[in-house]
Amino acid sequence: MAGFILKRLLQAVFVVLAVTLIVSFAIRLSGDPAIMVMGGGNVTEQDLQNIRQALGLNRPFYVQYLSFLQGLFVGDFGKSFMGGTPVSLLISQALPATLLLAFASLLTSIALSVPLGVYAAVNRGRWPDQLIRILSLVGLSFPNFWLAIMLVLLFSIVLGILPPSGMEGPESFIMPALTMAIILTATNMRLVRTSMLETLSQQYIMVARSKGLRDRVVLYKHALRNSAIPLVTYIGLQFGNLIGGIVIVERVFNWPGMGTLAFDAISNRDYPVLQATITVLALFIVFINLMVDVAYGLIDPRIRTE
Amino acid sequence: MKFSTTLKALGLTAAVALSPLMASGAQAAGTLTVAVAIDPGSWDPIDTFLVDWSSAANNIYDGLTARGADMKLKPALATSWEFLDNNARIRFKLRQNVKFHNGEPFNAAAVKFTFDRLLGEEGRKGPQQSNYTSIDRVEVVDDTTVDFIMKQADPVLLTKLAGYGAMIVPPKYIQEKGDAHFNMNPVGTGPYKFAEYSPKVSLTLEAFPEHWGGAPKLDKVVTRFISEANTQVAELQSGRIDVATLIPFGLAPTVEKSPNLSLLSITGPTVVSLRLNTKEGITKDLDVRKALIMGIDRDAIIKAVLLGHGKPIASFQADLSFGHDPNLKPLPFDLAKAKQMLQQAKVPAGAPVRIDFRGNDATFREVVQAAAGYLQALGLKPALQPHEPPVLLNDIIPNGKTGEAWHQSWGGWTFDYDNNAYLMYHSGEKWNPYYNDATLNALLEKQRTIYDVKEREKVLQEIARYVADQALEIPLYNQNTIYGVNKRVKSFDAPADRRFRFTETTVE
Repeated sequence: MAGFILKRLLQAVFVVLAVTLIVSFAIRLSGDPAIMVMGGGNVTEQDLQNIRQALGLNRPFYVQYLSFLQGLFVGDFGKSFMGGTPVSLLISQALPATLLLAFASLLTSIALSVPLGVYAAVNRGRWPDQLIRILSLVGLSFPNFWLAIMLVLLFSIVLGILPPSGMEGPESFIMPALTMAIILTATNMRLVRTSMLETLSQQYIMVARSKGLRDRVVLYKHALRNSAIPLVTYIGLQFGNLIGGIVIVERVFNWPGMGTLAFDAISNRDYPVLQATITVLALFIVFINLMVDVAYGLIDPRIRTE
Repeated sequence: MKFSTTLKALGLTAAVALSPLMASGAQAAGTLTVAVAIDPGSWDPIDTFLVDWSSAANNIYDGLTARGADMKLKPALATSWEFLDNNARIRFKLRQNVKFHNGEPFNAAAVKFTFDRLLGEEGRKGPQQSNYTSIDRVEVVDDTTVDFIMKQADPVLLTKLAGYGAMIVPPKYIQEKGDAHFNMNPVGTGPYKFAEYSPKVSLTLEAFPEHWGGAPKLDKVVTRFISEANTQVAELQSGRIDVATLIPFGLAPTVEKSPNLSLLSITGPTVVSLRLNTKEGITKDLDVRKALIMGIDRDAIIKAVLLGHGKPIASFQADLSFGHDPNLKPLPFDLAKAKQMLQQAKVPAGAPVRIDFRGNDATFREVVQAAAGYLQALGLKPALQPHEPPVLLNDIIPNGKTGEAWHQSWGGWTFDYDNNAYLMYHSGEKWNPYYNDATLNALLEKQRTIYDVKEREKVLQEIARYVADQALEIPLYNQNTIYGVNKRVKSFDAPADRRFRFTETTVE
């Protein structure tokens, strides 16, 4: 297991290097940070030169990239082009905000999708199954920003019980997490249902039933645990998508997270912030994938011994 | 931005339908909360050009002069000034017994330090230095007197001293704590002092009762950074912010209809035009340019797209701007005449007119679509080309890669036509890729040397007339500054330039 983890960590280094290289290169293809700093008002070419000098942009690309990598190793992400805020400070605030939101969304989604999926599978073909499947189709079809706005209208403006934006108390998690979760649940639930149906048709389930075990035990101890593997894989993979989808949800809810940070950094051509944000997210996704592999071993002892 | 337009449409429909049911949230007494779009990232006056910086920082700092919501210039940290040595030296008498928030005294040395910093190495790294290059240096005469030694004449200087880069900063504090600390923990002489800053979230200021202008009436001013307009409006409706600064025209009726909110729509600095390519394409011809102006119904656009929150313009400036000439009228909308002029100029049917514009500006997208409709009615073939702002501003315009027309939106806080005209029409300027006219250049240079207000105003008006005669652009409109304000806010002086100063404001 240790060797396996080590190998995956080495792979991660290459993944992160490749991602940072692509991002650093691509962001430099269009636009000029100097003009974003100057505001495009009363500027001369000399002013722009001064700014580029101050920001270190007149150096060749590979020097800029290497100095970024160098900074990575000593944990120094540099300073934002906008106002000179240390990037590490921005990330140290944004990362927990995004992770909390992502986990809250995932947990909500699991809490909703597992019981619903199991229930649908058990009642296969009967009306609860049909209803759940229709609801999941509706959930899949929602654009998340629309859902976000509807939630804000209902809970903040009509009922006045939840804050429409910002990250303050636990109550401010409800709407953003629900927005993300509803869409995740739609897919997760279908997955749980399919996976359960497949497991339930296995012979060992029949054996378990014929041994006289109670339905509940058969369902949760034997069937669900075996159907969990595709679900765990999928949720792991979903994490990457989740981080992608979170940008829009963060923007609507003014959530001070990584999505907001990356979005602003792209529009301002704020290279240090963008590079750092993407690096951290890439590291994180690699880490999650590693965790998924480790989780397999925990769920399925056969994988552990191999 | 499709996303944002969709948001707007949905938000509008739903919000209008549901607004009567709205519940109101609770806000702390004595605390005013303002939402602005962007966190400037640093509160140092020399680091930014953002209006959103000024919306908050105008309460932290003072300049030598000040300009209130009435747009009139008045003394602030300087009590009087006089022009010496044939205008090459401006002498300021400073206000006495003024202290910075950290207890440091305000004096001539602080003024010198502020401008040495702005004009020196430190200022070179930021966007503010270029606005003050007419100053050569500042000399201390005595503890309460300073001389500004001018490199060249600058009739707009006194206005420029009222904001942004010219805000007076504390020398000892910055020297001891360093620049990085000052960025995040600003200290000034203004009516509110810094309390807390959480990047990308909010800035909290507390009253500074020892302020030379008297203690402010609020206990706290909180500035929150919310970049999505719909979110600002939702926060405003739920009573969690008192002043929203980002209200798209489409959402204005929602705010207007809310019983606990008022909508303030006032003349602002932002003017919008379609500049014309005088070098290539059908717009090379003066009569064609005039025909294009006459062929677009600007009043209809203001009414339909801006929902009336704007005014037609004859020159590229607001009517609050110094140099505005009420007697200069825009060319009237006359489709038949415009068609006739195009025919006389032998413009073939279906001649292309490409318009380059900022793709992220949802309002302008609708404006330019309407304009394209008019051009089509003239028998031309308009093509709309959206760009990401950095690309448009840094490549397409300065490198002369535009089509026949391009979108220019401009709003100098100084409200002086010089700020617009010189940069737009003088040859060699970044925003003027095509036009080179010795007469116009001479006029633009001349007004920069004149301190006599009346005389300078005459020259500026002459410039505006000249530009209109040459039809260098299709002047579209001056768009209003719109605020959504909770009715619990009293004595809110809405400034046209969004540089709030909450000394008299109270909340219930």
